[in-house]
Formats: sequence, C-alpha cells, structure tokens
Amino acid sequence: MRVRLPGLYIVLGLVLAGLIHIVAVLMLPSLAPKNAQARLAALGPANTMIELPAASPGRQVMPMMAPDVRYAVCRFDLANGPVRLRAAVPDELWLIALYTPEGENFYSVVGADMKRPQIDLIITAADQTVEEAGVDAPEWSDDVIVVNAPVTEGIALIRAPLAGPSRASFAERALRATSCGPYAGAG
Amino acid sequence: MTALPTNSQLLLVSSQAAPWREEEATHSMRSLAYFIGTFVVALMLGIGSAWYMIERGSPLTTTKVGPWDGWITEGNPQADPYTRAHVARSGRLPLTSTVARYFTSRTDSAGRTLVSSCEYLVEGGPINARWWSLAVYDEYGGLIDNPSARYSFNSEEMLRHADGSYRVNLSSKARPENWLPSGTADQNLVLMLRIYSPRETDASGIGLVPAERLPKIERKSCE
Repeated sequence: MRVRLPGLYIVLGLVLAGLIHIVAVLMLPSLAPKNAQARLAALGPANTMIELPAASPGRQVMPMMAPDVRYAVCRFDLANGPVRLRAAVPDELWLIALYTPEGENFYSVVGADMKRPQIDLIITAADQTVEEAGVDAPEWSDDVIVVNAPVTEGIALIRAPLAGPSRASFAERALRATSCGPYAGAG
Repeated sequence: MTALPTNSQLLLVSSQAAPWREEEATHSMRSLAYFIGTFVVALMLGIGSAWYMIERGSPLTTTKVGPWDGWITEGNPQADPYTRAHVARSGRLPLTSTVARYFTSRTDSAGRTLVSSCEYLVEGGPINARWWSLAVYDEYGGLIDNPSARYSFNSEEMLRHADGSYRVNLSSKARPENWLPSGTADQNLVLMLRIYSPRETDASGIGLVPAERLPKIERKSCE
C-alpha cells in the first residue's frame, strides 16, 4: 500500500499541473494588466485619432515598437453608433489595422491594395448596419469600406513605415491629417 | 529516561502502544507533506510550463529557424490560446501573420545569449517583401539609447551588396557599414526582424519567409 502511494501522488500532481496550466493559459488574455488596450487608454479619449510619439528610448507606448514606423491610433467605441476613419494614404507602405482589446487583428488593409488614395472606413458593431445609421450608401458605396467589428470596443492603428530616414516628418504630417470620430452626422 | 522498576506492567503497555501511535502520526504527517508537496510541485509545473509556452513558444505555436522565433498565428483572430496569451501579455499590437511576420532572437546562431558586451555580425540575404526592418531592443522591448539615435535598419536604408545581401554590425562601439549600436549599459539584447507584406505565402495565406533568408548572427568578440 505505502509503496504505491508516491506513484499515486505523481499522477495526482501531473493532473493538477495540467489543470493549472490550462486555467493559466486561458485566463491570461483577460488578466494581462499591461495589454495594448490599457496602454493606449492612458493616452486620451476614445473615438479620436491620436498620433503616437515616435518611439525612442524611454518613450514607447508599447514594447518593441518599430523605431522606423510612425503610428496613429484611434480607440473606437461603437456603443453610440458606428465610427468613421478617414485617411489620405500617401504611399503604398501604409497599413491600417483593426484590433480587439486583446490584440487580435481582425481587419487590415495595405496601402498598395487600396484603389484610391483616400480611404473611408466605417466600423460598425454586430447589430449595426450603415443603412440604419442613416447613410445613403448607393451613391458612394464604392468609396466606403464598411467593417463589421466582432467587438464594441477596439483599436484602429495606422502604420506609416518610413521609406527612408528623411521621410519621418512627411509621414508625421500625413498621419496628423487622418481623422476618426463618431459616424452619425459626419456627412 | 529512567524506567520505574515497581510498575513494570504499565511500562510494558506503554512500550507496546507508543510505537504504534507514533507510526500513525508520522504516517498522516507524511501524507500531509506528500499532499502539500504534490500541490506545490503541480503549481510550479503548471504555471512554469504555461509561462514558458506563452513567453518563449513551443513547436505548436512557433517556427524556430536558427536563433529566430516566429509566432505562426500571431495577431490572428483564430489563433490558439497560447498565441493569444502571448500577444495580450506582450502589450504589442502585431499585424496578423497574413500581413506581416515578426521574428525575434535572444541568442546568436550558436545559441549563446545576446549581450551588449559582445560584438556580433548579422548577415542576411534579400527578403522578398514590400518592407522589412531589423531593430535591436533591451530584454524588456525598450529601444537602446545611443548617440547616433540609430535603433534599426530597414529595407530602404540598409547598405547592401550588389547581390542584395547585407551585413549589420551589432556593437556598443562605432563600426563601419551598417552599425546597430547595442548601448553602453551591460544588458541582454533582443533582435526583431519585422517583415511587412511578405510576397510568398503558405496555403492558409500566412507569410512565408524561407529559412535561409533569415540572417545569421555570429559572435565576433567579447569585452
């Protein structure tokens, strides 16, 4: 009887370790206190475009940010209706990406794949349609991209990779000209 | 202890009973110790293995090419729980792996930890992508202060040879060609290669970077 006990404890230990492992992995995304959403929330209100300062030592909003990419971010909140993001995309390197608060990139578009230099993106929640929001869709539906978000709160991130060291001020200026805001009444 | 010769009967009883009770007590004590020990070991194993698989990856979630680690479904909404936990914990907002691939390295090609007190030669071939960049960070993902404010080399500014190959000198002291400063503080380093819009993809659309295109990291000398 006593000879078998250590074996029993080893099995019990392994099962317990497995359970703890699974719980830890599944719980972590919702418990991570310093995830990107928390870091960006400290910068300003939702539904506004915020230009991130160029990453430099000791001045990084997120870890491992690219020093040769300029970023602008908009935390969108769809509780009061769709949110519209507009940008004049100056080169094919630009990337516009939409994220859930946990950092899942559910939508992205590359500058090179855009048909027009002007991008007009409307983010809607699952239960919202652009028609309901009072948009005359047919007239300019070709120019507008409607993205149905799986979340009501999330992050829109514009990346402007620099095509050379002298391009930084140009990219920063172009990012400053982008906009993000509630769709209703925006015309 | 001195035995009482007048009460030999009691002495006999107690000498019979005491070993038995002691044995039972040590047995339950040992069970409790076993149980607590098992729980502590299980806690360490469970948390430790979860931490390692989230932080450093495993064959399930990452491709390992020489010193480089790349999370296969990073940023993807259909990603596995380990990758999701990794992204949430990192505090980063990576592009989904169909749009960009990220490779990080904490060691040289021989498996030795990258440190600022050593000098390295990073040597790679052309990468088939719209834009890519090689940057160096401290072990917490922070950029490293240096007088020339140089933190990375990207595909547009890297000095390259006629065949498209390049050499980056990762060193705390000024070096010719592409000099990536590793700073004066004594610390561990992380290299990150970010590749935007790789032109080759696998069957599920995930950006494909051939193994031989990821640079080799050779340790030259140490202080």
